[in-house]
Amino acid sequence: MILRIENLSFSYDNTPVLSGVSLEVSEGEAVCLLGPNGSGKTTMLDCVLGFHRHFSGSIEVCGKDVLSLSRPEAAKYISYVPQLHTPTFPYTVREVVLMGRTARSGLLGAPGKEDYEASDRAIRKVGIEDFAARPYTELSGGERKLVLLARAFAQSAPLIVLDEPTGSLDFKNELLFLETLTDLILYEGISVLMATHALQHPLYFESEGLKTKAAMLCRNKPVRTGAPGEIITSENLLEIYGVRAAVTETSDSDGKTVKSVTVFGSEDRF
Amino acid sequence: MQKGRQKQNIGFGFAAILTVLPLVCIVFSLFFGRLHISPSEVLLALVNHKGVTPASAVAVLELRLPRAVAAAFAGASLAVSGAAFQSIFRNPLVNSGILGVSNGAGFGACVAIVFFGGGVFTYIFSFIFAVSAVILSYFAGRISRVTTTITMILGGTIVGAFFSALVSIMKYVADPYSQLPGITFWFMGSFASIGYPQLYAAIPMGLGMLLIFLSRWRLNVLSMGEKEAASLGVDVRKSQIMIIGGATLCTAAAVCISGTIGWVGLVIPHIGRMLTGNSNQKLIPVSISLGACFMVIMDLLARTLTGSEIPVGILCALIGTPFFVYLLKKTRGGFAT
Repeated sequence: MILRIENLSFSYDNTPVLSGVSLEVSEGEAVCLLGPNGSGKTTMLDCVLGFHRHFSGSIEVCGKDVLSLSRPEAAKYISYVPQLHTPTFPYTVREVVLMGRTARSGLLGAPGKEDYEASDRAIRKVGIEDFAARPYTELSGGERKLVLLARAFAQSAPLIVLDEPTGSLDFKNELLFLETLTDLILYEGISVLMATHALQHPLYFESEGLKTKAAMLCRNKPVRTGAPGEIITSENLLEIYGVRAAVTETSDSDGKTVKSVTVFGSEDRF
Repeated sequence: MQKGRQKQNIGFGFAAILTVLPLVCIVFSLFFGRLHISPSEVLLALVNHKGVTPASAVAVLELRLPRAVAAAFAGASLAVSGAAFQSIFRNPLVNSGILGVSNGAGFGACVAIVFFGGGVFTYIFSFIFAVSAVILSYFAGRISRVTTTITMILGGTIVGAFFSALVSIMKYVADPYSQLPGITFWFMGSFASIGYPQLYAAIPMGLGMLLIFLSRWRLNVLSMGEKEAASLGVDVRKSQIMIIGGATLCTAAAVCISGTIGWVGLVIPHIGRMLTGNSNQKLIPVSISLGACFMVIMDLLARTLTGSEIPVGILCALIGTPFFVYLLKKTRGGFAT
C-alpha cells in the first residue's frame, strides 16, 4: 500500500472540514478526490503532504507515519504538483525540473551529475524537450503544468499528489496532461492522488484501463469511495452537488467505451 | 542536453574570472589617490617596501590597500545579501536592508557617537543593533499565525521605522556641533576611516557570504514559495534561518564599517541577473564578484574625483538611481532578463 489514510479529521478553528475520512492508494493506482468547493479536497492533500500537522487519525505513506518524516524524507515518498502560479524569477524549464531533485541532496548539497540525468529523463518522459531551455515564466499554462509534472516525476517518489492539475487548461491541453499522467502511471508504476473538479477525470482513467478509484467528499457527510462508475451516479451528483445529471456511455468506432456526465440543470434554479 | 547542463554549472574558467576580477580592481585602485605616487613606486611598495618614500609606502599599504579590501568585502556582502533576500522574499525589489539592518546599525552608531564618543564603539554598537533589528524583524514577522515572507517584509519595515524614529531622537539630543556632523556623515556612508583594525569585519562578512554561497541551490527552490519548497524537500525554516543569518552577518558587518550604502544590494543582483540569468547557482557568485568590483571602483571615485572626499554612499545612489530607472524601463517593471 502506497498511502493509507485512516479516520482523518481536520478542523479550521473549530470548523470541521474533514471528519473520519479513510482512503487507500495502492501501487499504480489513480485516486481522484471529488467534491464541491470547500468540501476539503485541498485540505486533505495538505494533510497528506504534511502542511497541516494538527489532524487526528493517521496517514501512512509506504508504511511510514507522515508526521514522523522530515521534509527531505517526505519528499522522497511524495511529490507534489501545485496549482498554477507564476514564480517571481524566470528560471529556465530545466532549472525548474531540476528542483525536483532537491530532496536527494543534503541540507547544503547542490544537484550533481545523476540529478541532471534524472531531470533530463523526466523532461523526455513528459515530452517537453522542445522548450526545456526556455524561461518557465514565458510558457503557456498547459506547458507549465507539464513542467511541474516533469519536476514531480524527477523527484522519483512513488506517489504524486496533484491539486486540480487541469484547472486552467484548455480542452486539448487538459487531455494532453491526462494522457501524460496516464503514461507515467502505466509505465513507471507511479501512484496518483489527485483533487479535481472534473468528474470526467476518474472516468477517463478508468477507460484507459488504469486501476482507478473515486472518492467523493462532502462536508458533514461521510466520504463515498469506490470505482468511478459506482461513485459518479446521478443520485450522488444530485445529493452532493445539487445538480441534475445523468451518466451516459458512448463508444467510438474502435469500440472504446467512455462514460461521461450529461448535465441537465442545477437543483437551485427553476 | 549536454550543452544545457554545462550552462547551469559554473565552469572553471568562469569561476576563475569571478575570483580574479575583484583582485584586479583592488590592485588597480592602489595606483590612484590624492597623493601622487608613480606606478613604479606603487609596485615597489607592494613587492618589497624598498626604494619608496615612507609617505608613499604608508599611502599605498596603510591607507589605500585596507580601504580597497574593506570596500571589496562590503560591496560583495551587500550585493550577495540583496540577491539572497530577493530570492527568499520572492521580490525583485527587495534589497539588503529589508529587515531593518541599516536603521538598526544607524541607531547603534548614534548611541556610540552620542554617549561613548564614537571611535571603536561605533563599529561595535552598530553591528549589535543591526543584528538585533533583524532578529526583531524575523520574530515580528513570525508572530502572525499565518507566517509568510510577506509578513516578514512587513516586520522588517516596521522595525526599520521604529529604529529610524530612535535615530531621529538621537539626532535631536545630539550636540549639534560636536556630534551631529558625525552622525550625518555616518549615514552618508564612507570608507575614509578604514585601517587594518576594521578589517576584522571581514570575518563575519566572509562567514555570512559562505553561508549564502552554500545555500545557493536552495535559494532557487525557496523562491518558488514556502509550500512548494517544503514539498520539494527543503526544511524551509532551517534554510531561512541559515540564509537570513548569513545575510545579516554580511550586511551588519558591512554597514558597521562603512555606514549606510544603499543601492548596491538592489542594483548589483539585477546586473547579475541580466548577465547570467536568474539561477542562484550562478547569481550568488556573480553578485559577490560584481559587488566587490563595483564598490572598489566607487570608493576609488569617491576619494579621487574631487579635492575632498565624496561619501561613497552618495556616489552609489547617484549612479545607482538612474541605472535602476533604466532597468525598470527595460523590464517594464516586471522582471525578465
